[in-house]
Amino acid sequence: MRIGVFVCQCGTNIASTVETEAVAREALQHPDVVYATSYMYTCSEPGQQQIQRAIQEENLQGVVVAACSPRMHEPTFRRAVEKAGLNRFMFEMANIREHVSWISNDRQANTRKAAELVHMAVAKLRFNHPLSPSRVAINKRVLVIGGGVAGIQAALDCAEGGLEVVLVERQPSIGGKMAKLDKTFPTIDCSSCILGPKMVDVAQKENIRLYACSEVESVAGYIGNFSVQIRRKATCVDWNLCTGCGLCMEKCPAKKVPDHFNEDLGNTRAIGIPFPQAIPKKATIDKEHCRQFTRGKCGVCKKICPVGAIDYEMEDEFISEDFGAIIVATGFDLFDHSSYGEYGGGRFPDVISGLQYERILSASGPFGGHIQRPSDGRQPRNIVFIACVGSRDASVDRPYCSGVCCMYIAKQAILTRDHLPDSNCYVFYMDIRSPGKNYDEFVRRAQEEYGVNYIRGRVGKIYPKNNHLIVQGADTLLGAQVEVEADLVVLATGVEASAGARELAEKLRISYDQYGFYMESHPKLRPVETNTAGVYLAGVCQGPKDIPSSVAQGSAAAAKVQALFSRDTIETSPQVALVNERACVACGKCIQVCPFGAIQWKELRGGIQKAEVLPSVCQGCGLCNATCPPKAVQLQHCTDNQILAEIDVLCA
Amino acid sequence: MNSDLRSELHKKAEQAWPDLELLIGWQAGYDDLHTTPVFIRDSAEISKLIWNPWCTQNLAVYVAKHFAASSGKDDKKIGVCVKGCDSRSLIALLQENLVARERFYIIGMPCKGIVDLRKLHALSGAARILSVQVNAEQVALKSAAGVLHFPLDEVLMRKCRRCRYPNPLIHDVLVGDPLTPRTDAHEAYNDVAAIERLSLQERLAFWQGELDRCLRCYACRNACPLCVCQDRCIAETRDPKWLTQYMHLPEKFMFHFIHALHLAGRCTECGECERVCPMEIPVALIKEALNKITLELLDFEAGLDPQRVPPLLTFDAGETGI
Repeated sequence: MRIGVFVCQCGTNIASTVETEAVAREALQHPDVVYATSYMYTCSEPGQQQIQRAIQEENLQGVVVAACSPRMHEPTFRRAVEKAGLNRFMFEMANIREHVSWISNDRQANTRKAAELVHMAVAKLRFNHPLSPSRVAINKRVLVIGGGVAGIQAALDCAEGGLEVVLVERQPSIGGKMAKLDKTFPTIDCSSCILGPKMVDVAQKENIRLYACSEVESVAGYIGNFSVQIRRKATCVDWNLCTGCGLCMEKCPAKKVPDHFNEDLGNTRAIGIPFPQAIPKKATIDKEHCRQFTRGKCGVCKKICPVGAIDYEMEDEFISEDFGAIIVATGFDLFDHSSYGEYGGGRFPDVISGLQYERILSASGPFGGHIQRPSDGRQPRNIVFIACVGSRDASVDRPYCSGVCCMYIAKQAILTRDHLPDSNCYVFYMDIRSPGKNYDEFVRRAQEEYGVNYIRGRVGKIYPKNNHLIVQGADTLLGAQVEVEADLVVLATGVEASAGARELAEKLRISYDQYGFYMESHPKLRPVETNTAGVYLAGVCQGPKDIPSSVAQGSAAAAKVQALFSRDTIETSPQVALVNERACVACGKCIQVCPFGAIQWKELRGGIQKAEVLPSVCQGCGLCNATCPPKAVQLQHCTDNQILAEIDVLCA
Repeated sequence: MNSDLRSELHKKAEQAWPDLELLIGWQAGYDDLHTTPVFIRDSAEISKLIWNPWCTQNLAVYVAKHFAASSGKDDKKIGVCVKGCDSRSLIALLQENLVARERFYIIGMPCKGIVDLRKLHALSGAARILSVQVNAEQVALKSAAGVLHFPLDEVLMRKCRRCRYPNPLIHDVLVGDPLTPRTDAHEAYNDVAAIERLSLQERLAFWQGELDRCLRCYACRNACPLCVCQDRCIAETRDPKWLTQYMHLPEKFMFHFIHALHLAGRCTECGECERVCPMEIPVALIKEALNKITLELLDFEAGLDPQRVPPLLTFDAGETGI
């Protein structure tokens, strides 16, 4: 093989701590290396041309570039060598920037290590074979998981582009957390007034199929060809018949059912529609509280239902659908403030979460939009807001900023002063985080126009006294202790990963961070993609964000899907496992360990069993190769012989 | 001690014979101290079967390597005699779907321990052994130099002195009464623990000293009931080329550690690798060390429950404790 080695200086990124000329000179000593040089920017146009010229003039059969991480420029160089007539897999990259020049200033040691990495790359390249990708058709249907505002936006944008969309929502209605909000910052427009039309659009778009009260049960397949099983949870109401008239809800005798839509501030019935604007507007039975299920008799709704939609025997139903891409928009849950013992640990009825206060403020909420205390219904006079409850607090394992609380407290304080001009609002905060368009102006208005008292400091304790709550805190700007006799305390509870986020991630084979937020492929440059091709992220499931950002990410994910679907086929990577049938001893261990179900039995003539890899399903993780005792399964482009060759030159 | 059990074995083999096409057991060897495997295809040969503390071979080794794929004539089965430790090898083969349970008729032999010939020879010194009598807990060794008496424990194989499973864990019929285990899991890894107490340098020196004697005869591999690669062992293949044929210490290390790693979470501690080693290298210790880790980390012992899947042969993203 005739190999060319190109050592990049990356301006001064590499050259300042690595003697690139020396690395190139040493490379010429290795077997098969016939050409070696160093260049200022190998990834630049002239840099790539230099490679292509050398391939022509020196008759190169393989190319090694020593430069940055392959994650950065491997695709660039593969394209470059391919244009010059080489197979793109006759190329190897040695990372001498992230792995060498950026991590040490020792010029001598760096040059040595860079030379060794180049040597390893050359040794591996000598065992490379031309590989060619195969093409598979794309199923141009998209699955959107989660019907909050991000998922709704993604579904609508995909549908607008003519794609067939399936939207899966685990609650009985789409709308997500936004449907529970009263007004939205910084414009104070009514949340359900701006979300409602989008929800209706979802219901009316002919190419969106909505599965509410449903969850993703399992995911198989790969980009372009996912096969997803969806569990439609038993609602005990036949939604094909239910007209959403609400008669069942009126007559249901179970009246003390906690109203989850109202954050348990009021009661609802055991059957019903969660809120008036619900989409789909269909009733669901809450089996935990329904008398038919808890006591075994009742049947009132079944008698009253004018269309006979009630079916107590209904069971979960499973349906299978195929998709080419998946958008994950599973949103978030609110931090449970009961772990803050100093704030009453959830025991004081008048210490409430931010979302509970949203429901209190809402005209469709438990108190019809009148601000009153949950404990006695009295109108509060002094209202204290406490920021960063379950945010920026390592002691409860939530060191991150939830990003929205500063803004929603300001909004709630403004709304409170609007509703109750005689009230006093206090905000205990750590810092104000308002980096959005018109956001800081909004907080200023709360402070300056609406006279909300902002106190910089933490609250140390809340305790009840004479029908009030005494809030003790510090004002760190004055260096003084503060005590407020509050009637109502609103905790700005932070954002945390949605319940079940980790389980779903494992089904989708996407990664998540230590808090359960899904990992994007690159924190800056690929914020919508995951590391599993064909799976995209939208909304808070990827990390705390506000409504505009969630909507933007929903649209971005839809754009990614549209771009993917603009082709009819996609290339599958040839870097997959391959079984050497002569060596396979048919022990079946590879089949057992494969996380993707990509290996199956194959029967040869005479009934002899051998393992067989399905190249389009294989993700190239290499578990089978590690497990195979006779090493009959080899990962293409990363074979045992290639790795052993690298180790050999390193240890020689 | 064994005449009752031997006749019980013969009787139970006769009873089972109509369903069998082959019965694998032990027969007398060329002297009193040796037994060899016997493959019975004719009921007249059942009388050859013996059972005594010299029946050392793990007959499960033949099961996967020679008879797993063959299908029986007229649904007839293969009978196989197993001690407690051997039964674990069979279960491990079942756990890995390498054999089918219904293909085998398993004759279980509760076992008080197998005599280690090397220990016997060491005790008798240079004198030729004429005969050996084993009573309940005593061994009487008659040699040209006279008669010597030893406690049975002293001449048992290392694996038997740390035995936790004297009774076959899987069987269709049992010959003799179940016995009480000698040790528990805590004591079973004392030999490994002793090595682990050495400093890293001492440990390296120990293994260099031991493995330097290796001839690469592969007897340990061939005797292992769970080494299923047969003639595709990567110790001998050229592609991929993991090992050369040089007799260097690194190559010997590499072979033994590949062997051990292939058995991680699979080895049933039958001790055959160690018994057959002509250079008396304690190779089973390496596998025991991995088993100790598997037990501590994954709460798994190979060859106990046929339904359980060995942890290293699964993919479970939610696996905890690692």
